[in-house]
Amino acid sequence: MSASHRMLLGHYQPGNSIVHRAPLLAKYLLVLAVSTSVLLWRIPAIGLGALFLSLLLFAVAGKRVLRAWAAPLRQLWWVFAILAVHQSLINSPVFALTLVSGMFAAIQCGRLVLLTTTQAALLAGLETAATPVRFFGGNPETIALAVALMLRSIPAIATSVQGLSDAAKARGVARNPAVLAAPLVINTVAYAQRTADALAARGIMDRN
Amino acid sequence: MIRFENAGLSVPADDPQASERVVLAPCTLALGEARIAVIGANGSGKSTLLRMINGLVLPSTGSVNVRGFDTRSKAKLVRQNVGFLFTDPLSQLVMPIVSEDVELSLKASIKNHDLRREEALRVLDSLGLRHLAQRSIYDLSGGERQLVALCSVLAAGQNILVADEPTTLLDLANNELLQRTIDALEQQVIYATHDLDFAASADRGLLVKDGRIAFDGPAPAAVEEYRRLVRSGSISA
Repeated sequence: MSASHRMLLGHYQPGNSIVHRAPLLAKYLLVLAVSTSVLLWRIPAIGLGALFLSLLLFAVAGKRVLRAWAAPLRQLWWVFAILAVHQSLINSPVFALTLVSGMFAAIQCGRLVLLTTTQAALLAGLETAATPVRFFGGNPETIALAVALMLRSIPAIATSVQGLSDAAKARGVARNPAVLAAPLVINTVAYAQRTADALAARGIMDRN
Repeated sequence: MIRFENAGLSVPADDPQASERVVLAPCTLALGEARIAVIGANGSGKSTLLRMINGLVLPSTGSVNVRGFDTRSKAKLVRQNVGFLFTDPLSQLVMPIVSEDVELSLKASIKNHDLRREEALRVLDSLGLRHLAQRSIYDLSGGERQLVALCSVLAAGQNILVADEPTTLLDLANNELLQRTIDALEQQVIYATHDLDFAASADRGLLVKDGRIAFDGPAPAAVEEYRRLVRSGSISA
């Protein structure tokens, strides 16, 4: 997966800023507060304020994180553009601005959590949150591991898509998503098989 | 000591005329040497042989014992003794950050997070990889990834390392670095490889041909026999 794709998803950027050091719960509360605010109060001041807050927090988190701020705009600008035009037509330009800025701010706060928190810390938080499943015979570690594997599969599958797309291009075959679907499924199943082998080989499955 | 007692693997055949296909013919082996190289053509059964050692593949006939533990009934204990290094390190690195992946291997043995992190850094340091601790596994070179994968395996503290073509994807410099690293390990190492110089440096060589152990003896002799079979056309592409 390319660096830009990882930036888009929110790949952890090492650092020692106050945002990096903030407790995971505080970061989740920030996401919750921003998402709830932009959903409940659909006024430009809230949307733009949330957007400014996200930019400020990215800046506080350091240069590496700040550089990642615009990644969704660079790659998904057309989604925001379609949304803005659509909302301008059916509602008003002010509403479109409020909606798009609020939505973008909420996404950015979510990305900020991923960009400034190690996966180990995210999983430790998830394990803690999933502790009650023990009362029903579940294992929080298994749940956390499953989420880790899910997160890990995103770049792997993205790389597979890129590879298949490049191969199709090199052979002069049109990059029709339908044509790529079958090999992508096969690659993904093979990847899952290799992952299962690796987990078994490392004894990780034995202790979960 | 690793013991194969008439251990073999057959699977249902693709050909409707045949009832089954032999992946590895039943073989009896006692593997105790510090360095054992497994060589042979692609698809000859090398990986199956290696995977049987840590129970990733169970024999359909016979049994495999590692330090007295049967891979079928004592898989957990077997894996506590046998680490496995895959050809593609990205297949086995689970966590996105180097130190986190090493920590994952230590999770069962060290519950305290700070101690676990300290130990992970110590293990990385032992292979000269501490500077990579905070790097993303996706930003590493192929050689660095393979060394990190090795580090994650070694962190678990097993006393046998099985490596399935660990140098295949590496360039010359990384290939030699990994070989030197493996050479310096205290663990017993059993590895499959297409690098015949690497194979010849082992204490013992096993040549696998068409699912059978075609030669078992000193590694240089195994390499020579492999070359002879290829030259004579007994092993072809």
